[in-house]
Amino acid sequence: MEADFTSQIREKARELLEKGTVECVIGYETGSDGVSARPSFIYNPSEVERLVFDNTCSHNLVKYLLDKKGKPTAIVVKGCDSRALNLLLSEKQLQRDQIFIIGVVCPGVVEWGWNRRSEQFQKRCDLCRQHTPLVYDLLIGTPVTEEPPPEFTDIAEMSARATEERASFWREQAERCLRCYACRQACPGCYCIDCFVEQLDPEWVGIRIATGENLMWNTIRAFHLAGRCIACNECERVCPVNLPLSLLNRKLEEEMLELFDYRAGMSEDATAPLITFIKEEKLGIGE
Amino acid sequence: MTKVLGKKELESWLNSIMQERILVAPKRVDDLVLFTPVHSVDEIAFDFQNTTLSPKELFFPRTETLFTIVHKDGEIEFTPVTVDRETVLFGIRPCDARGIAILDGPYLSDPPDSLWAQHRDKTTLIGLACAKPAPQCFCTSMGSSPTDTSNVDILLTEVDDGYAVEIVTEKGEKLLQGAELKESDVKPSVPQCDASVPAEGIVDAVKRAFEDPYWSRLADRCIHCNICAYVCPTCYCFDIRDYKAGGKIERIRTWESCQSKGFSRIAGGYDPRANKGSRLRQRFCHKLLYFPEQFGPLGCVGCGRCVTACPVNIDIREIISDIQERGAQVGQRSN
Repeated sequence: MEADFTSQIREKARELLEKGTVECVIGYETGSDGVSARPSFIYNPSEVERLVFDNTCSHNLVKYLLDKKGKPTAIVVKGCDSRALNLLLSEKQLQRDQIFIIGVVCPGVVEWGWNRRSEQFQKRCDLCRQHTPLVYDLLIGTPVTEEPPPEFTDIAEMSARATEERASFWREQAERCLRCYACRQACPGCYCIDCFVEQLDPEWVGIRIATGENLMWNTIRAFHLAGRCIACNECERVCPVNLPLSLLNRKLEEEMLELFDYRAGMSEDATAPLITFIKEEKLGIGE
Repeated sequence: MTKVLGKKELESWLNSIMQERILVAPKRVDDLVLFTPVHSVDEIAFDFQNTTLSPKELFFPRTETLFTIVHKDGEIEFTPVTVDRETVLFGIRPCDARGIAILDGPYLSDPPDSLWAQHRDKTTLIGLACAKPAPQCFCTSMGSSPTDTSNVDILLTEVDDGYAVEIVTEKGEKLLQGAELKESDVKPSVPQCDASVPAEGIVDAVKRAFEDPYWSRLADRCIHCNICAYVCPTCYCFDIRDYKAGGKIERIRTWESCQSKGFSRIAGGYDPRANKGSRLRQRFCHKLLYFPEQFGPLGCVGCGRCVTACPVNIDIREIISDIQERGAQVGQRSN
């Protein structure tokens, strides 16, 4: 199946580049370890043989489209990644007519690292409800019937802990954080030109790489993604010190469902609760 | 004859060190191995390839106060921070020790960085030779080796019944006083790090390939986080800021990196490295061109951390090979 997906991606990439439909195809190629995939940028039909698709293609490539604004680009997306496309389309960050979407029905991606590839599916794949992309121009693979996974059993244990216990857990985690901002850089929802963490006036968070400041950084970032996180889990994958960021994101996902019956990235004309102002809405302030 | 410290003797020696000094050693924290102050030998990880983060933090903490200023009765009281406690760093790999040593270049050349100098002075390095270099390792291509003694005070190499001990400096000899060493005819094995990264002549190749479109193509993939710089034993850039708290002003520095947007932004808002390609090129030019031109050695020791930690596989070994090839092509064209 992998070989078949790979050849279909290459074929479409060649056609799009030869016809000049797009300037660049963003997909995956084999990394320097010969074992795992890495993002690939193909500009020339003669280079399409570099493209591959396998079960280490876990990177969400959608973030790269923000660097390609105004340039027709093709992109390989899995089901989860397609939610990121919807997010950015609904937030008017991308133009649909500039993008050719090569959707892949994703069988799930495995736990892997540099020079290391397991047979174990990533935890997020067990929770996946979107194996088939929601938006595409070409679909590779046969759409599957999505069976909803159990809701939030993964965070039930953490949610059940006492407040003080949770606080000390997160303080311990934050102590490790390096403030390298890889979570932000990998996140398709983090595209502010000036991130709050780098603003100077006011300085929302001090530059110290220390527990208090790190907690503030991770908490505010999580809140900025509330109702926007599409659960690709790139933040957790890229973290060099393995912070369990999905616990924060999943908690907020649960809250958004409960409060607004809303899941991010499910359609390109979605009205996201926390970034939409409805005049008639009761704010409950000053009444 | 080889001096050997048995496993039990090593334990009691480390225990005695902990009584008087801070002992920092590799420790398993979840899936990571981190240099951490330890209070018992049980906490120390002996079986590891290399630590997740480099030991540069002991000398260049992620956040460090430089001095404090207090305004008192119309007078300004200025107090520089001093390093008082003696520290012993146990388990540093030869590549990382080389990393610390080459940072003496920028940090100890005139005017020397007082905090770096104090950290260096107060710290004794007990090296642990690599028993089995990892696939990402390439120290031998960068002028070191799994058993390199050049930059540690003591080097321990695991042998059957303990550790073979090589005393390198007076500081090391002093630390070993009281340790129960025995003479043995055991010969420690010499592991090989067989990576062959073509580093020879890279300075010229980088210079020739400076304008190569290679950099902007590579930057397509880079997500411009600071992981490579923060795990690197030889990245040493920082940001400085003053904070005021309770009538006291504190000047601190924290890690920063040339990969950050805005790192090179100057007053008025101009950023000479505003695009991603020039930022990524800066990282490799600094390591492979500017650092050797200023201080001698290449600014990379081949620990391989950036290779495994990069979320998008920007691989310095691959880049060195590519640049050698591209630099050679440019060389041919201009001849």
